[in-house]
Amino acid sequence: MGLRDLLRRLNLTVFGWVKDRFPTAPYADLTRKVGETIQRQVPRSHSEKYELKTIWYWYPLYCLGGISFIAFIILTITGIVLGFYYVPDGTVTFTSELEPTNPAYESMVKIMNEVPLGFIMRGVHHWGAHVMIAAVFLHMCRVYFTGAYKKPRELNWIIGVILLFLTLGFGYTGYLLPANDLSQAAATIGLNMARSLPYIGDLQALIVFGGTDIAVANYVLRMYWYHVFILPFTVIGLMLFHMALVWIQGVAEPH
Amino acid sequence: MEIERVKGKVYEERPGFPVQYGPERTDRQPGSPLVPHEVYRDLVTILLLTAMIFFLTAAVMPGLETPRNPAETEAFTVPDWYVLFSFGLLKFASIIPEVQIPGVLGLPPALLSVGFWGFFLTQLPLIFLVILPFIDRGRETRPAKAPIRSAFGIAFLIVWIFTTSMYSVNNLILEKWPVVGSDNVLKGFIIGPPILAGIAAYVGLRRLGYSSMYWYRIIPLGAAFLIALGHAIWILWAIQGHAQWSWIAVFLAFLVGLTAVPAVAVTFLPERTALRFTTATGLFLIFLGFAVWFTVGFYTPSVLGQVEIVLIPNMHTIFALPIFSVITAYVALRRPYSTYEYLLNECYQCGKCHTVCPVTKVEDDAVGGLNLVYNSFKKEHDGVPLWTCLACDACSAVCPLDIQYSDYILEERAKIMGQSAVDGGETER
Repeated sequence: MGLRDLLRRLNLTVFGWVKDRFPTAPYADLTRKVGETIQRQVPRSHSEKYELKTIWYWYPLYCLGGISFIAFIILTITGIVLGFYYVPDGTVTFTSELEPTNPAYESMVKIMNEVPLGFIMRGVHHWGAHVMIAAVFLHMCRVYFTGAYKKPRELNWIIGVILLFLTLGFGYTGYLLPANDLSQAAATIGLNMARSLPYIGDLQALIVFGGTDIAVANYVLRMYWYHVFILPFTVIGLMLFHMALVWIQGVAEPH
Repeated sequence: MEIERVKGKVYEERPGFPVQYGPERTDRQPGSPLVPHEVYRDLVTILLLTAMIFFLTAAVMPGLETPRNPAETEAFTVPDWYVLFSFGLLKFASIIPEVQIPGVLGLPPALLSVGFWGFFLTQLPLIFLVILPFIDRGRETRPAKAPIRSAFGIAFLIVWIFTTSMYSVNNLILEKWPVVGSDNVLKGFIIGPPILAGIAAYVGLRRLGYSSMYWYRIIPLGAAFLIALGHAIWILWAIQGHAQWSWIAVFLAFLVGLTAVPAVAVTFLPERTALRFTTATGLFLIFLGFAVWFTVGFYTPSVLGQVEIVLIPNMHTIFALPIFSVITAYVALRRPYSTYEYLLNECYQCGKCHTVCPVTKVEDDAVGGLNLVYNSFKKEHDGVPLWTCLACDACSAVCPLDIQYSDYILEERAKIMGQSAVDGGETER
């Protein structure tokens, strides 16, 4: 029994074992067929099909959903990079000059001054957030004014409204994270608003902000958890559903 | 397939386009290929957006203020712009009285505080947006065809959100412009401008959709004039004996005049003349008013200061209504040429117009007659359908979608006659 036979036997045992359980060949074949034989086309729009008179400067308004998605991807990438260095701890400590500071703020200073490309990562994350929120709001306006929420797209509209408010939540939790003056002022307003609900106010404040007193509560940790875990997973799920429904139901054009 | 190929609408098997393998496509109108066309187009958008964000970052670097200090809260901070509306509503909620709920069903008594009302007002847009598809159940989607929905959107989603956001910095505004007088004037911004913008948008969109206009012009413009006039008279009566009474009267005359001109024009003049009259007189009054304002302000600033103290706190009527009147008159009187074609988009080619068209019977040719409507709509004609039409309106009478075809023909002719002849001779097509 030579080396050749040995290799063949080895192949049969090892790769055969894998292939029995995970047959990759049909999928590879299918992918190749799809790539080679089907002419992938983006279908024509209703106006293109029937040669309708359209206003060309309305067309960019149909990109706004996609723009907010691209901004979301940019935010995800930069957010992951920022997450490596950010410390979600807003507990107040004091410097040697007895000035108040906190680990979250210190880590922000570190990101902006010491981390390579840290400043630009933070800047892109900041402006990407503004672009995404603006795009989502304008997208909502476009859908409203072209009546695209009508039957059969009611469900997609409601998902979109939820996504709009979750995006605002992304923005709000995001700018609370640096634990600076603005963060504290905004958190105070939010906390007071949450507490003002009768009966459940304090419980709501405890759940959202981690306490009923902004001076004591480590709201930064809560906001961090919403910002990097709960909101992203909810939003990604809803976004995929949102886009799948657009794919299935088609783009609603006014005609 | 052959016809499309001849017309140049089929891209398959052309250089640079993928070859079609497998069974022949039954889709006669293929879209544009994913690779490379759509991919490149998307890539351009993505790169432009990324570049824009990087450019913003480089140009306007986000700062990092001082670390938070629970011991001292700042007197005033402006949150990010997208939550300003909520902040503004929280401040605006102070007009709603606090309500003490008595304890019922074993629950302790509770207080519906200002914070609660602010929270409640912030939820209103969310609730409205969620139930929107179940309120608005009409089939019209074009903004001009659904003027109520569009006008409400402009008023509520754009202007109201904007003025509410603006109100969130009310103390900054009062600090910078003390002449505004009181916070109530700024509160008026949350209610006044959205309503006026909504009415102006409604009237303008009716015009855009070629709906009937007569009373829709007279009622809002007349009401604006009467309200402005009444308020001006009331101001003049209330400040009798004021040192600058006559100057105030002059400026009020300008402002009320600006509401009077459109109101009179739409009531008594024909459309075309009314538009010219309003534009000319309105612009003249605006320029003259500003000229007088700046002249007075230049030579005697103290006089202008006293005038401003009287006039500016009443801005929601005597400044807002002239602006409203002029804009509404313009959008209600202008001739929206371009939208004719979008109205024709509703045509689903049932052919009723062709059946009743009298010219078709006369101008019969080998291919089943001259289809006036279809040919001129598609702009696939040599000018004959456009100029042989009698404008008898038989086609509009039978049209199931009520498309005013003869109006379109007349507009097209007017447009062509209005064009200047390039070669100095015949009018160019």
